[in-house]
Amino acid sequence: MSEIKETSPNTLMAFGVIGGLLGIYLTYILPLAGNAAGGPVKGLLTTIAPAAGALGGICAIVWGAEAVRRVAKYGLGTGVPSIGQIAMGMGIIAAMFGLSIVGQLTLAGPIVALLTASVIGLIIGWFAQNVIKMKIPVMIRCMTEIAAAGSLVIIGFSAAAAGSFEFGSLITLVFDNGIILGVFWIGAMAMLHPFNACLGPDEKQKRLLYLAFSTGAITMAVTGIAGIMTLGNAGIFTLLVGVVIWLIFYKKFWDEVYKDAASVLGTGLIPKTEA
Amino acid sequence: MVLDLTMSMAILAFMGALATIAGCLEDLESDVGSQSNPNSQVQLAPQMNFLHRIYNKAISGEPISNGLSAVIGGIVTTVMLNAKFFPLTAIVLGAFVAAIIYGIFATTSYAGRVASQSRFKQPLYMDIMRYTTPSIIAHNFIVCLCLVALAYIQSQILVPAHPFSIPFLALIWGISVGAIGSSVGDVHYGAEREFQNREFGCGLNTALSGRIVRRAESGLRNSIDNVWFCAKYGGPVTGIALGLTVFLSSWPTTVFGYTWIAIGVGVAIVLVMVILNRLLEINVKNAYGPYKEEKNEKEAAA
Repeated sequence: MSEIKETSPNTLMAFGVIGGLLGIYLTYILPLAGNAAGGPVKGLLTTIAPAAGALGGICAIVWGAEAVRRVAKYGLGTGVPSIGQIAMGMGIIAAMFGLSIVGQLTLAGPIVALLTASVIGLIIGWFAQNVIKMKIPVMIRCMTEIAAAGSLVIIGFSAAAAGSFEFGSLITLVFDNGIILGVFWIGAMAMLHPFNACLGPDEKQKRLLYLAFSTGAITMAVTGIAGIMTLGNAGIFTLLVGVVIWLIFYKKFWDEVYKDAASVLGTGLIPKTEA
Repeated sequence: MVLDLTMSMAILAFMGALATIAGCLEDLESDVGSQSNPNSQVQLAPQMNFLHRIYNKAISGEPISNGLSAVIGGIVTTVMLNAKFFPLTAIVLGAFVAAIIYGIFATTSYAGRVASQSRFKQPLYMDIMRYTTPSIIAHNFIVCLCLVALAYIQSQILVPAHPFSIPFLALIWGISVGAIGSSVGDVHYGAEREFQNREFGCGLNTALSGRIVRRAESGLRNSIDNVWFCAKYGGPVTGIALGLTVFLSSWPTTVFGYTWIAIGVGVAIVLVMVILNRLLEINVKNAYGPYKEEKNEKEAAA
């Protein structure tokens, strides 16, 4: 497998962290810029700002899916869904802690959440490695990455549904009406499904990453539907962008499937084998 | 709206019926795609040179995948209700969106899993993809419809109303139906259907792993044949399990209110269930006796 060129974990980590934080902060900066500009630009920028948070969330999902892939490659067949769930579990605790502890310093929230998630992930990874003795060399690093990606996914998609990552508005617009459960559950599925769906001896990173983009886009589309209730037009914009991204990457995923599968048949009998 | 006892019982019976349908269809839906426990054998088969024409739907375990579709249904329904749609329209639209997304996840897992088995020469059959995926979507639509309706009844109609939001309740129902479908229904697909050519109750020897039945009464077996088999017993029994769970757990408080008598009746129901289960277990042990080890198995153990 080594002859296939793969994107390095460090590149993907940079993509997840920078893309995730950039998207999240754009939900804050764009409306400010709109207010400064005024006029029709203001309306436009406020409408597209929440979608930026969801795009950041997709970056984090791609990073998280790759981290799930590296840790689950050590034979965690049925453990893949558990990894996705624990990622969002760690992520949501860190995200809520980070966003609420900063008080008036709203801008520091996502960074504090990211750091908190990394620490929680590090501790859980250390326990898995040294107390439960799972003997997976990449466990500690991957758990840290997964938790950090989980916190960015939660903040990114919550910001897309609420229009900002200020804790007070998240409570009323995302927690009270139950949208956070969608973010949590669909986000977890988006992160764990790429590896779970591509599991097998001939699994390829490229196909998995395309699938991660596509599941992330599904999460974005559902967040957009939820956003129609909380934000109106901005939700519709998020939904449309999500659907377009999904179409692109679903198609790319299928192109890879056609390339990788042993054979793609319209119909037919089972090929003869020794059994 | 204050509900009298008759109306409360009617709603309770309706909830039980919804749960029964949801449980039954959930199990059948997991059989259409070979999800959950039996999936491991479908996944393993090509490795044992047993290429097959069975759908490989690996959207995680049943609780998580049904939680996914239920929570999407709940969110879309909440959005629709907020936009002043009629409740039934809102629930149907919510379930529809959820089932379509569920179907998308199903296609990616079948295509992805088969593409990752290319060294075993397992082909990706597009006709299987085309006629099995709509069946999965249809089954999941009904499951999601029932679950979101349950969540709606709990949070909007019951008195006192449940404090949780619709997506939250739907998610919990999704996890429950998946867990019950996985624990009750799986055996009728896994042990009975995939290993139909072995002696009933022989247990799954490690040597048999992946050696699933691939030929049907006529032609090659596919996932629709499997759901036909499971619809005779596995699906309905799962439905009864979930329906009884919903009905028996809510019946005492509906009739006796939130009193100590209701708690006493609840404990009594649990005791009766424990006794019945024990009697069943004794009966089965007497009828089939202990598992007889085969000769080569004993040698392997030694």
